[in-house]
Amino acid sequence: MKKINFLIFLLLVFLPNKSYSLIEVDITRGNLNPLPIAVSPLSSDEKTKIALEKELTIKDVGSEIAKVVENNLRKSGLFNPLNKEAFLQKSDIAHHKPRFEDWALIKSQALITGKVSLQEENLRVEFRLWDVLAGKEMLALAFTTVPKNWRRVGHIITDKVYERLTGEKGYFDTRIIYVSEEGPKIKRIKKLAIMDQDGFNTKYLTLGNELVLTPRFNPTNQMVTYLSYFKNLPRVYLLDIETGLQEVVGDFPGMTFAPRFSPDGRKIIMSFAKDGNSDIYTMDLENRIVEKITNHPSIDTSPSYSPNGKYITFNSDRSGYQQIYVMKSDGSNVKRISFGNGLYGTPVWSPRGDLIAFTKLHKGKFYIGVMRTDGTGERLLTENYYQEAPSWSPNGRVLIFYRETKTNDKGEGFSAKLWSIDLTGYNERLVKTETDASDPSWSSLLSN
Amino acid sequence: MNLFKIYKNTLLVVILAFALSACAQQQKSATIDSQIKDDVFIGTDTVEYLAKGVPDRVFFATNESVLTTRSRETLRKQATWLRANSSVTVVLEGHADERGTREYNLALGERRANAAKDYLMTYGVSSDRISVISYGKERPVDSGSNPLSWSKNRRSVTVKAN
Amino acid sequence: MHKSIAASSALHIILIVLATLSLPFMSRKPIDLPPIISVELIQITDKTNIPYAPKAKKIIEEVKKKEKLVSEQAPPKKVKKEKPDAIPLPDEKPDKIKEIEEKKQNPEKIDDKIKQVSEFEKKEMFDPNEIAALIDKSKEELAETTVKSNKVTQSRDKNMNMSGLTLSEEDALKAQIFGCWSIPLGLPYNENLLVRIKLKLKPDGSVVKTEILDHARMNTPGQGFYKVLAESALRAIKLCQPLRVPSTGYERWKDLQLNFDAREMLEG
Repeated sequence: MKKINFLIFLLLVFLPNKSYSLIEVDITRGNLNPLPIAVSPLSSDEKTKIALEKELTIKDVGSEIAKVVENNLRKSGLFNPLNKEAFLQKSDIAHHKPRFEDWALIKSQALITGKVSLQEENLRVEFRLWDVLAGKEMLALAFTTVPKNWRRVGHIITDKVYERLTGEKGYFDTRIIYVSEEGPKIKRIKKLAIMDQDGFNTKYLTLGNELVLTPRFNPTNQMVTYLSYFKNLPRVYLLDIETGLQEVVGDFPGMTFAPRFSPDGRKIIMSFAKDGNSDIYTMDLENRIVEKITNHPSIDTSPSYSPNGKYITFNSDRSGYQQIYVMKSDGSNVKRISFGNGLYGTPVWSPRGDLIAFTKLHKGKFYIGVMRTDGTGERLLTENYYQEAPSWSPNGRVLIFYRETKTNDKGEGFSAKLWSIDLTGYNERLVKTETDASDPSWSSLLSN
Repeated sequence: MNLFKIYKNTLLVVILAFALSACAQQQKSATIDSQIKDDVFIGTDTVEYLAKGVPDRVFFATNESVLTTRSRETLRKQATWLRANSSVTVVLEGHADERGTREYNLALGERRANAAKDYLMTYGVSSDRISVISYGKERPVDSGSNPLSWSKNRRSVTVKAN
Repeated sequence: MHKSIAASSALHIILIVLATLSLPFMSRKPIDLPPIISVELIQITDKTNIPYAPKAKKIIEEVKKKEKLVSEQAPPKKVKKEKPDAIPLPDEKPDKIKEIEEKKQNPEKIDDKIKQVSEFEKKEMFDPNEIAALIDKSKEELAETTVKSNKVTQSRDKNMNMSGLTLSEEDALKAQIFGCWSIPLGLPYNENLLVRIKLKLKPDGSVVKTEILDHARMNTPGQGFYKVLAESALRAIKLCQPLRVPSTGYERWKDLQLNFDAREMLEG
């Protein structure tokens, strides 16, 4: 026995290189630079090109779809699409067999390739996502649709790529409903408008004969609720996007405003103002039953449900000034959550459920910010002369809001535009619209 | 000699310009002071009349819906006129300035118009004759982005409905 | 037939007239909803991974026999030596794939909704056998090291002190990898964001083998971000090659573990 022990001891002594313990190095920092990605133009054969050019009057749909993808990725702030002129490999060959060394050479870490073809009348787009450094394929999908739908294919490709590379759902195959504005500040003409998330395919839903405000999507994106001053009676309306039909929500003897859908889409929550007092009500869209949720002589408005429907955040001046409150969805357990300096308004619960976005007014400046649902961790993302009404992207990562400019002494130079900003406070961007715009509301993903 | 004259004239012009600009500066702040008292507009700009000596609107302080002494005086005149013209019905239009969120401002405008309505009612105008509408910040009368413009926009306007 | 069409159109016209009369402010025509897009899965197998396919196949077979530990990451430098021509291109077997796909799709859904992607991604990179093998092997190795360290006696203390990298050596390596690692920005900042990767190195600092220690988390539902993070760490290692290792003492650092932790960056 002792002998064996001794032998083991000897072995240990004379096997020195086996005895080092594993060295661990902690990597706690990296760069937050956008990921370099190459979007190779989607290839198509001549016959397809000619046929599609005839139908869409677009020269090369494949490279146009690639441009949609590239533009989306760049605007996300998380990716850096590389300049196509540096690409060494032809797009049709790359789609089958990328030479990873070539793509690594131009510092690309991911590569998107694809092919466009016609299947009878339909457009078929296939794409692949490659990990350049690991030298392998990460994703491959094909989509078939009518040719005029080609931009949407680009958005869906972006969503898939975004999800595969960031680990969270994308927000590109979405639309934004907003209020289009024209004319002088004292007599603005406002219309409901809807467009793709990237500013294309704008359509106007009302003619501008009456004032319309604050449109919001329902969870399936087929209905919109908004405030209209039709016949000078400010009331909450419901618009079915598919049929174009509109109806007044409920028969209230006074102004109803600030509408939003419940997360299940069955109810509309809104403010009803009467005799100088605004309270929050819900109306069930099926049985039309109206429920009073708050009962307080102060102004209670801008209600927004939590994604699970159990809580409501809203705006009230019951403390003397505009602040943000949270309550259970039956109106009990009202708690104030905003305690910073200044006034707080337009609380909106994030789709992830962990944050509430808001507008803050302090010392003559307007801020868009977020806080946790208990009011802690307030972060202000952007400051300006006037901005308000944040709306979340469906993945809860980006906020869209509107910003108005200060006019000069003569009251000139007024404009209202949509802007977007990341939850991080970086990547602030103007969202392109045909006219001036306000009150944006982001749809959920259309392709789910 | 000629050169001297040019020099002298230029100097004169510069001095005069300075003097004038100082004057303008003073005048401007003076007008603001004389038109706003305790954050409430007290001027006559933008004010229209329902009848001779009966102003159509009252003004409010920021985020407030409390009637000032001056506003109550205006509303008493309106009440007297309405009692004398019993066939007239009115709409009270409540407004807010641009320095607030849209939805809150809609509620605030409604509250302001109702403050005026309540006062008219206590002076004998039947509530059947008064309807109320809030435009929030949607219909400013002054498109400026300064305290004077905002004060003119924080208002409740009595409009003849028939 | 004709009757019903007539009735239907009459009713529709009435509806439209009613709607336009009662709501004169409505838009002239309803806007069209976005048309339907159908999604089809196209093959993504080891075959699409052309340069590596023969090797990968071999590797997988080896794993199945559990003879040897393998890494899913083939060294990129060997790419050129393979014969890509010999490998069938994706297009060569489309019929078969289509058949499978058609079986998978729900025929009713195709028309009215965009067909959603199935879980096919899972098979794309991680052969379950391979993962199992990796996990098993890593356990073994872990056990081995524990045994080893238990056996270390007092007399080896001097060597123990020598076994780590010196501060400057470690700093050089860290600085290099900090520069290579693009942290994915979409990660949730309140999760455990630690990825531990074990490396086998050559004396010149190039990487022979990488191994993710918590490999099981890669495919845990709700931990999709972990895979993304792990892949970013692997990319960083690839990008940084050869690693800035000390010029001496290869035996000390030929096995190296890097702990990638994104929390600090994302919280700050």
